Amino acid sequence: MAVAGAKRRRVRGLGSERTREGVVGYGFVALPMAFFLLFFIVPIGYAFYISRYDWQIFKGPFVGWGNYRTLYHDSVFWRHAVRNTLVYTAFVVPLQMALGLTLAVVVNQSIRFRTFFRAAFYFPSLAASAAIASIATYILASDGLFNTILHHLGYHHSNAWFAQQSTALPSIIGLNAWTTSGTMMLFYLAALQAIPVDVYEAAAIDGAGAWRTFRKITFPLLKPGHFFVAVVSVIGALQMFDQSFLIGGASGGPNYSTLTTVLYLYNQAIGNIKFGYAAAVGVVLFAFIFTVTLIQRLLFGKAEVA
Amino acid sequence: MDVEGLPPTQAVEELALEGEAAAGSGARGIPGRERADRVRTAIAYTVMFLVAALFAIPFLWTVSTSFRTLADTVAGFSLLPRHWTTSGYHEAFHTFNFGRYTLNSAIIAGAITLSNLVLASIGGYAFARLRFPGREVLFMLVLGTLMIPDQLRLVPIYLMLVNWIPAWVGHVGWHDASFVNRDGVILIQLVSATSLFLMRQYFLTIPRDLEEAAKLDAAGYFKTYRKVMLPLAGPALAAVGILTFQGTWNALFWPAVLLQDKSQYTIPIGIASFHFAYQTLWPPLMAASVLAIVPILLIFILFQRYFVAGVAAAGVKG
Repeated sequence: MAVAGAKRRRVRGLGSERTREGVVGYGFVALPMAFFLLFFIVPIGYAFYISRYDWQIFKGPFVGWGNYRTLYHDSVFWRHAVRNTLVYTAFVVPLQMALGLTLAVVVNQSIRFRTFFRAAFYFPSLAASAAIASIATYILASDGLFNTILHHLGYHHSNAWFAQQSTALPSIIGLNAWTTSGTMMLFYLAALQAIPVDVYEAAAIDGAGAWRTFRKITFPLLKPGHFFVAVVSVIGALQMFDQSFLIGGASGGPNYSTLTTVLYLYNQAIGNIKFGYAAAVGVVLFAFIFTVTLIQRLLFGKAEVA
Repeated sequence: MDVEGLPPTQAVEELALEGEAAAGSGARGIPGRERADRVRTAIAYTVMFLVAALFAIPFLWTVSTSFRTLADTVAGFSLLPRHWTTSGYHEAFHTFNFGRYTLNSAIIAGAITLSNLVLASIGGYAFARLRFPGREVLFMLVLGTLMIPDQLRLVPIYLMLVNWIPAWVGHVGWHDASFVNRDGVILIQLVSATSLFLMRQYFLTIPRDLEEAAKLDAAGYFKTYRKVMLPLAGPALAAVGILTFQGTWNALFWPAVLLQDKSQYTIPIGIASFHFAYQTLWPPLMAASVLAIVPILLIFILFQRYFVAGVAAAGVKG
């Protein structure tokens, strides 16, 4: 290498070689960087710009903070969209974490078919949300499989779970806790395998039972894992869209009971063509998610599983 | 967000290799523990089989219903179809256009996957190997895009696709172009930070000697990328390709925003619109759901470990 460098220096000089490498480097990242700039960075500023106008099909007059004031007084947004999103997050996150951790601990045992079980638990996370939602609608229909099973257990429920205002959101919570538990399981599995084996050996020598070992050793040592899973789960939950759109429709029915903030934004933009207003909703949601992430970071430190 | 402290790549790499390091089973060889262990194992097996069954039932029920007649779906409970029929699939394909939707899904997911492979591997190679001023800052910027949620981008991107992009391509002679359609869905997903990250991380693990040899050969940087690096990057390319395909095949959000013409619907959008129009026409709806799931299931069975790499990359979002 040293010889080659010396030779090259004589021919073209080290400076030109470096310059060439730099130019090629910029050339290779130019297209991806232009893409990220145009479709990720520019939209941040442009969203704020749009949010300051009464922008419907065409750009209307400048309204300053007008859209934000309207949003502040928008009762559908606060009473339904925000409320549902927070309720959804408050319930789905602990459920996902508990399910994910349980599955991870179970498949982390040294037993046969482990790979198969992991795959089986993980697969619902990979299937299309549209397919899963239509399957769930079918199973939770008034004469669906779930009500049939309940009937045989002596509990009579004759309504479709997604069609009733009181059960629609809880059903979506249950559905998503199930489908995402596989992903959470993989995160926890990574965290579990990062715990050194000798810790367990020491516990075994001390005569600690399985439950005690889990409670006193595994669970506390998983702290970085808990944090990481919580962050991913909360960020995902605050942006829930698919299941509400698929099950409740763009209006988040029945009677707004499945309306989430992102679905509300979608509906304002694509349904009502109120781009200025929808942009304001987007800016507020972004600020909120960003703040939540920062708070989580300050509370728990940096996200690390390994 | 610092790159070195990024979460679970290492642990998950072990997972990808099907690492058999079994934590939580350290009690072997301690007297009096064997029976307790056996009980524990039995419980674990039972729980796992029950949960696996619970996870599988909805899918099996879906397949079973997709082969039923409509009358059969309301005739009370039966595990298997009373009369097996493929009319659900026939209707889904011909009456309700899912043949077209499947093709659209394949085109969109295929195009985005291909462009991710090309752009992420070239960019990933440059970020991993070539020295140029501002490289680290630019890479941070790429990772930073993971923090920008889609809902913030919805309105600006929609308006850019309506106003800016058609005007720009008009300047270069492509008149009356529209991007509130399939082309727009592809355009805004040409490359992802996750793909670029995965490629860069993989290139970093390749020993430098190989390129040095190529340099002595006076091979250009593109030739080094093409002839030396790319052939070695098989596993990373597979991971990027599979994850991108799975994500875009399933995607609902951007297609829901941009696809307005029914002839361009993807399977998920087709399912959504069918679902609202024909609530209880279960057999074709379940057939469409099977159609949405089966390609991903096959890819998953064949290439399981690459999906785990994707979970590692999702960790970037933390």
